[in-house]
Amino acid sequence: MAIALDRPRTVSRSARALRVRRWVGTALTWVAVVAALLFFLGPFFWILTTSLKGNEDYFAYPPVWVPADASLKHYGALFTRSSGARYFTNSLVVSTLSMLAALLVSLPTAYSIARWRFGGGFLSLFLLVLRMLPAIALIIPLYIMYKLLGLTNSYLGLVIVYTVLYVPFAVWLLVGFLRDFPVEIEEAALIDGCSRLRALVSVVVPIIAPGLAVVALFSFIATWNEFLFAIVLTGIETKTMMVLVTSFTSGGTDMFYGEASASVVLGVLPAFIVAFVLQRYLVKGLALGGTKG
Amino acid sequence: MRIGALVLKRKSWEPLAFASPSLALIAIVIVFPLAYSFWLSFRNFDLAVGPDSEFVGGANYVEALVRDSRFLNSIWNTAIIIGPSLVLELLLGLGLALLLTRIGRGRPIITALLAIPAMVSPVMAAMTWRMMFGVKYGAINNLGRQLGVIDVYFDWFSNPFISIVAIVMVEVWHNTAFMTLVLLAGLQSIPTELYDAGKADGADGWRSFWYITLPLLKFTMVVGLMIRLIDLTKLFGLIFVLTYGGPGGATETVAFSTYLAGFNDFRMSYAAALSYVIVGGVLVLTLGFMWIQRYREMRAA
Repeated sequence: MAIALDRPRTVSRSARALRVRRWVGTALTWVAVVAALLFFLGPFFWILTTSLKGNEDYFAYPPVWVPADASLKHYGALFTRSSGARYFTNSLVVSTLSMLAALLVSLPTAYSIARWRFGGGFLSLFLLVLRMLPAIALIIPLYIMYKLLGLTNSYLGLVIVYTVLYVPFAVWLLVGFLRDFPVEIEEAALIDGCSRLRALVSVVVPIIAPGLAVVALFSFIATWNEFLFAIVLTGIETKTMMVLVTSFTSGGTDMFYGEASASVVLGVLPAFIVAFVLQRYLVKGLALGGTKG
Repeated sequence: MRIGALVLKRKSWEPLAFASPSLALIAIVIVFPLAYSFWLSFRNFDLAVGPDSEFVGGANYVEALVRDSRFLNSIWNTAIIIGPSLVLELLLGLGLALLLTRIGRGRPIITALLAIPAMVSPVMAAMTWRMMFGVKYGAINNLGRQLGVIDVYFDWFSNPFISIVAIVMVEVWHNTAFMTLVLLAGLQSIPTELYDAGKADGADGWRSFWYITLPLLKFTMVVGLMIRLIDLTKLFGLIFVLTYGGPGGATETVAFSTYLAGFNDFRMSYAAALSYVIVGGVLVLTLGFMWIQRYREMRAA
């Protein structure tokens, strides 16, 4: 304070300089944020407008960035001409079934690990190793087995692989949620004569429901996004959206843009929803491989 | 009674019974096929030839690691895609994480927006960019022409080097968000008192970044890089859509060339051997990482 009183003018000047510097800093921060958003979201914007363009817009120069007369006709063509409706439904059905099955199978296992430390550290380590396993190592024997069992080109075959593939991930996340769950509530139920399974289903599940929803959404999007197993194990009736999209690349460097972009828009839709709903859990989910095929 | 004692007390069969459904499924759908594949990798099972096969010893492995220049090339291709991708993802991810700590209001929504590319499948990411790279209708050529940067419609995937650059760019676009989120979590776990103490000692700006942030973030960075490294060894969907391994095999990754051996040439035994070479490689990388980590901990203790 004493110094400030001695040299009031310098202080006010340096205070102003500080304010200017802070303002410039904030401005630069926001410029960088906008640049990052443009880079990371620009492609999605372009795909969306492309899917809404009329065919004549593709040939126009200068290029049409935002179509004047947007229409959904490429989506119509995708759904009818390219059987997009069927493949979209396939993706929905397979992802939903795998998600439910993965939850059903993983919850008791996670409970066993969280409450009784089943398998000690070994089981947790084993599940982590499975997460690192390259899918390509599994698809070769699985393809041969599926051929023998007649499971290729069937919902069941795909759902079985996807369920098992995401069990390690689901167990890892669920163990975390179960450890946070207060044991006392469960004890009360057990004292009242509940069986262990009853207690799990009617006491634990309702309370950790938000956690279950997180795991469910992650397994849904992981299954939705999966490609290697889908392209090897599906046939003409059971293709998923991921497989359909790649079929447009046969058009060469300039493919059929309308339907291709429409299918990309539909294919990335779940990712948009999940990114917003699961904000808080994104790090965990991505680190454990919850979204990668 | 000790809290939790009742819950911990159990019938001896219960833990196993609860865990058995998923363990059984993992045994049938993952462990058994992997063992079968290992057995297969020492035979010459070829779907294009017929159902019969015989034991050939380590011939497949010898072919993969000595004679198959295509596979050996794919190891090199994978490495030159992984290297720059990791560096760029780390630097860009760190930059974005630091940027996000600087904004107060709106941080959650901007973080979620930036994370979207990491949530879409590799196939969709690659498809988006393949269309952007399109020769006549692609956004990149059109924007370039409009801005006067280029004057011809450029084919981005005709040249091996530019193809690799394009793949790295798409990969960085796709997965930088992962690094950002991991590093942001790491940054937020650094206690602010350290910065206050640093400021009292005259460390500000670059110095506090260099002497406080970076050392404390090192472990997070290593873990994030390791996860990306393991995932990048699986690079498949991006290649399948962007280049299908071309031009002339210049962008074939290990996973992609194994896929071709199995489902293009139908040499199942050989593909099984290739996949075990990949598993071995990933194992060596992971163990090497863990060993370095332990060594550093020992030295720090």
